[in-house]
Amino acid sequence: MKKNNLITPEGTHDLLFEECLARQAVENKLTSAFRTRGYNEVMTSCLEYYDVFDPDASGISPEEMYKMTDRRGRLIVMRPDSTLPIARLVATRLQNHQLPIRLFYNQPVYRSNPGLAGRLDENAQAGIELMGASGIRADLEVLTTAVEALSSCCPDFRLELGHAGFFREFARQLPISEEEREDIRCAIETKNYAALDTILDSLPQTMAVSGMRQLPRLFGGEEVFQQAKEVCPTKAALETLSYLHQVYHAVQDLGLGSHVIVDLGLVQRNDYYTDLIFTAYTEGYGDSILFGGRYDNLLARFHCPMPAIGFGIDVEALTRIALSKGHYNAPPAAQVLVYGENGYSIKALAHARALTHQGLRCETSVAETREEAEAYARSLGICRLDVVGARISEVLL
Amino acid sequence: MKPLRIALTKGRLEDDTVALLEKVGMNCDNVHNKGRKLILPIGDGSIEVVLAKAADVITYVEHGVCDLGVVGKDTILEHGGSFYELLDLGFGKCRFALAGPTGRNFFTGYHTKVIASKYPNVARSYFEGKAMDVQIIKIEGSVELAPLLGLADAIVDIVETGTTLKENGLAVIDTICHISARLIANEASLKLRKVEIECLAARMEQAKEEAQ
Repeated sequence: MKKNNLITPEGTHDLLFEECLARQAVENKLTSAFRTRGYNEVMTSCLEYYDVFDPDASGISPEEMYKMTDRRGRLIVMRPDSTLPIARLVATRLQNHQLPIRLFYNQPVYRSNPGLAGRLDENAQAGIELMGASGIRADLEVLTTAVEALSSCCPDFRLELGHAGFFREFARQLPISEEEREDIRCAIETKNYAALDTILDSLPQTMAVSGMRQLPRLFGGEEVFQQAKEVCPTKAALETLSYLHQVYHAVQDLGLGSHVIVDLGLVQRNDYYTDLIFTAYTEGYGDSILFGGRYDNLLARFHCPMPAIGFGIDVEALTRIALSKGHYNAPPAAQVLVYGENGYSIKALAHARALTHQGLRCETSVAETREEAEAYARSLGICRLDVVGARISEVLL
Repeated sequence: MKPLRIALTKGRLEDDTVALLEKVGMNCDNVHNKGRKLILPIGDGSIEVVLAKAADVITYVEHGVCDLGVVGKDTILEHGGSFYELLDLGFGKCRFALAGPTGRNFFTGYHTKVIASKYPNVARSYFEGKAMDVQIIKIEGSVELAPLLGLADAIVDIVETGTTLKENGLAVIDTICHISARLIANEASLKLRKVEIECLAARMEQAKEEAQ
């Protein structure tokens, strides 16, 4: 049988040297942004019961999950998402905690992607969850944290706002079946105007239908709010619009200015998100680098109903962006190589320790002779060789 | 400003798209005299054309290395992916159909039918929709051969005029869906370069409607 002992599974990769530096730097910047705003870290197990990610609640299809069974035949998955395990954790272990609960995570998620498409199955993510708080103050708190965290790694991004309430409200006004609703949702999600028109043409032409037709086209800046006002079929939709407008202005005032955009046709995993949805894009990266929103119904699934909002940042994407900008280089050679002459190896180790305590990066030579040690230092570009014998001599190479 | 990069499916869709772009008023001489070049600036240089195989158009757009793409609905259905499907360009029209030997009723009998296709995903989702268990065999070349040789009961393939089917003693059993060329866009590109992309799409749509 052919052995796969020299390769990594498809959709995974090793990180080396500057890649690790870049990844750690991104993680540090994000987590310290979260920490300084009062969020505390939690880590959940990589293995969870499948039931935690029930596709009806999570919007994650079973095909995407890496599955296995435990000793008793119960279905286990490698976490495809961090929010659901955290909801489980809050519902079971932080029931009596003072609300709101501010948590952050920094851990990979696993999704089985179609092969050979260049997507990673193991994806590092970091994000926050604010649980037990609703209203505009909570929404803005999370949005500002998102902006601050992203700015620390990737200053040039566009934050996009949407609201799950539009599609929900528009769809409620239409005489459609559950399947037709899903077809319409998909057409809006992919901005497939042709398909959307085909479905809507078969319905009686009401204000809600023409509104639905416009929904995927309603994205951009301030002008969107005016356009949307004309197609909102109900009072509830208008209220949602005015709420979003308020959030939009607040985020602009926070210093993002023209970097905030809106898309009323943002309907991803629509039944998971209940209200505000937001995402972020940056030039030169074809996918969103942040995704979040309010999910007020999720905690009830874990028998602990409370409002909640959060977001996740694609750490892998930010790492790749940082590397492509050349912000991180291969780590430089050590500053000093310490070689102990025969009989002085313990003294050499002590000397090296003294140097590292001074803050120097220092290797101890494992060569048998001084010539070998010197050749090694030269080949790596180490500029200083400390030869430890009866006395210590410093040689500059 | 970086030029807007549009990937075209090589061959007939490329010719039709170039004709449409010329109607919009863009100089496409570089595409006509492409030589061995793979990235070709057109118009005033604000747009670059990339020529690729159909499935690669989707891949390039999905990853955002091309902002836009022109690709057949057949490839979209078979290949899938996440991107925006902005416009039905109205050319490259044909249909996906289930076809089998003339005069034989495909739906009778209880044995599991064998289906040959170049488009296994399209075939699978069609039969799943009908709650029919079938065995799908992927064929790379002329699919019409499979029922003739006795390998398959029927085929799922693209049908334009039906002449090839007829010549081989096959007939359409059911139309699965209609196909035409689509303008697709990368999600981030559409958000970050909304005005340019919408303007180009609107001009293309207008030119398409004038042609009809």
